[in-house]
Amino acid sequence: MARVVPRPEMTLAEKAYIPEILRGMRVTWSHFLKGFNEPETLPVQSYPEVQWEIDRNYRAKHRLMKRPDGEPRCVACFMCSTACPARCIHIEATESDDPRIEKKPAKFDIDLLVCVFCGLCAEACPVDAIRMDTKVIALAADTRGKFVATKEQLLDWNPADYPASDTQSQKAPGGLLNAEARARWAQGDAT
Amino acid sequence: MTDLLTLPFLVTCAKFGLAFIPLMLLPFLIWGERKGASLIQDRIGPNRAAIPLMGGLRMFGFIHNMSDGIKLFFKESFVPAHAHKFWYFLAPMIPIIIAMLAPSVIPWFAPMTVQGPSGWVSISGQNLDADAGVLVLFALSGLSVYGVVLGSWASNSKYALLGGMRASAMMVSYEVSMGLSAAGIFLLAGSFGLTQIVEWQGSNPFLWGWALQPVGFVLFLVSLFAETGRPPFDVAEGESEIVAGYFVEYSAVRFALYYMGEYAHIVIASALVSTLFLGGYQVPFLPTETIRANLGVVGGGVLALLGLGVGAISLKIRRWARIYTTLKASDAADRAREYGFLATVSSVKAVVLLVSALAVGFLVRTTPAEVAGDLVHWPLWVNAATALVQLGVLLVKTAIICWVFIWVRWTLPRFRYDQIMSLGWKVMLNVALVNLLITALVAKLLVGGR
Repeated sequence: MARVVPRPEMTLAEKAYIPEILRGMRVTWSHFLKGFNEPETLPVQSYPEVQWEIDRNYRAKHRLMKRPDGEPRCVACFMCSTACPARCIHIEATESDDPRIEKKPAKFDIDLLVCVFCGLCAEACPVDAIRMDTKVIALAADTRGKFVATKEQLLDWNPADYPASDTQSQKAPGGLLNAEARARWAQGDAT
Repeated sequence: MTDLLTLPFLVTCAKFGLAFIPLMLLPFLIWGERKGASLIQDRIGPNRAAIPLMGGLRMFGFIHNMSDGIKLFFKESFVPAHAHKFWYFLAPMIPIIIAMLAPSVIPWFAPMTVQGPSGWVSISGQNLDADAGVLVLFALSGLSVYGVVLGSWASNSKYALLGGMRASAMMVSYEVSMGLSAAGIFLLAGSFGLTQIVEWQGSNPFLWGWALQPVGFVLFLVSLFAETGRPPFDVAEGESEIVAGYFVEYSAVRFALYYMGEYAHIVIASALVSTLFLGGYQVPFLPTETIRANLGVVGGGVLALLGLGVGAISLKIRRWARIYTTLKASDAADRAREYGFLATVSSVKAVVLLVSALAVGFLVRTTPAEVAGDLVHWPLWVNAATALVQLGVLLVKTAIICWVFIWVRWTLPRFRYDQIMSLGWKVMLNVALVNLLITALVAKLLVGGR
């Protein structure tokens, strides 16, 4: 059953508009004076110089994870491109040099203009090869072609930018755990 | 030919510079609108565009006007294929022509007498000293509807036409109550001439139009909000319904003409309110003859006030500079340098103004050039300095009303269209008529009428 919400009856002062308008102008004037006299209290920041810290869980630009020897972890199984609702991941597979691994990507392109940043590719990956934790959210380029992230660009990241608790990133070349992980990788331990 | 180059002729020619006052105030108004809006909304506001000197001179966002102007003038002036070309080109000129013509009837200073070859000639503070006076201004203001309607029709676009319809219906409706609410003033002053109206108000602020016609003052101000298409009466635009309204198909410099016309309209409207209800060029408690007789003291006082104001600004900038260095910003060093520079400049200005105030106050003495019975004729430089003081006072009044326009814009949400119409026709028109009736009765009974 529909519930009728009665509108409050306006008083004479409200109907005359002017007193209420003056009341509103007093409010805006107090805000004006606050910003004029104490700009440091304004809840704003000087954007390009100061930026909010973006959470690691935020689905930002992708990166491809690396094995201890620097090769991509990707095994070119096409799970991510199959899961992708926007069909923005284009993979070409080739035979891997490592006898323990069947395939590796020859080409791994993500069209960031088409990508909807849903994160399904990272969910679908069986080997934790693709992640979206780079915190890169401001994408800018002057041609459409430059928005296509290639395999080399996706592999180009620095373990120092990632926390020590992120062991998978730290096993990549340059990472804290890389020497140890490389020794085990040579013995055939494929973790 | 030599007869033409007389002093009164030259002064009359120099007065044409007054036509540019609204256009010269535009950058300040647009800057004030942006900065006022941002501070009212708890933001910092525009502060990025810079002159590339000394690590970037930003002047608190004032440079944004220049970049806007450069952008609008060098942008492609796109003409939609479906527009009626001739009228499309013609329409944006109307508001800017009105903006140049309308200030011609506003008296910017008191009438002065100037020595001509054949005696003293009286020169008034307006370019067009017509008996019709304010009626000319109302007529020009009414013409601005043509810019809106013509532009919207020539654009041949549904959004533009809807916006033009809404804007023109509102402007025409509120023109009625605008004229009627000011009629009380004309009745009391007994003239349409704006100089006469200002002279009638005199120099006592408690005998100005706002005190004698408070209802008319409020009604007139509200009608002007509608007339200039400012919020809360900005139905001409509506992003959610009709995009930008009547100028949606205009871009680049033609859009700039509309935009400038709109803001110039605000300046002219503010000057008109100041003239009709706030004593126009009258300096509070200082009649024109008193200023002329005591020019040294008055000029010194004005310069001292200016100096104190600039000094206060300098202190304010220094405080902002201190705050800025505590903020987390990578350009804090550049800003501190710029603020320091601006503060130094204003301090120097303040010192110069205060010193010149002392000099003027002690050194300048005026004597009439000729006394002919009741009429006292002053030398030209005395008249010019007095005119400057009065022009400054009128500009201060205009700036205050302009700020009220901005302030109200960022305070009030807009009215619904039917509310605007009912307010205009059912409320304001009736109140204006009753006000006029009461004014007429009181004037007839108390003063005896003219």
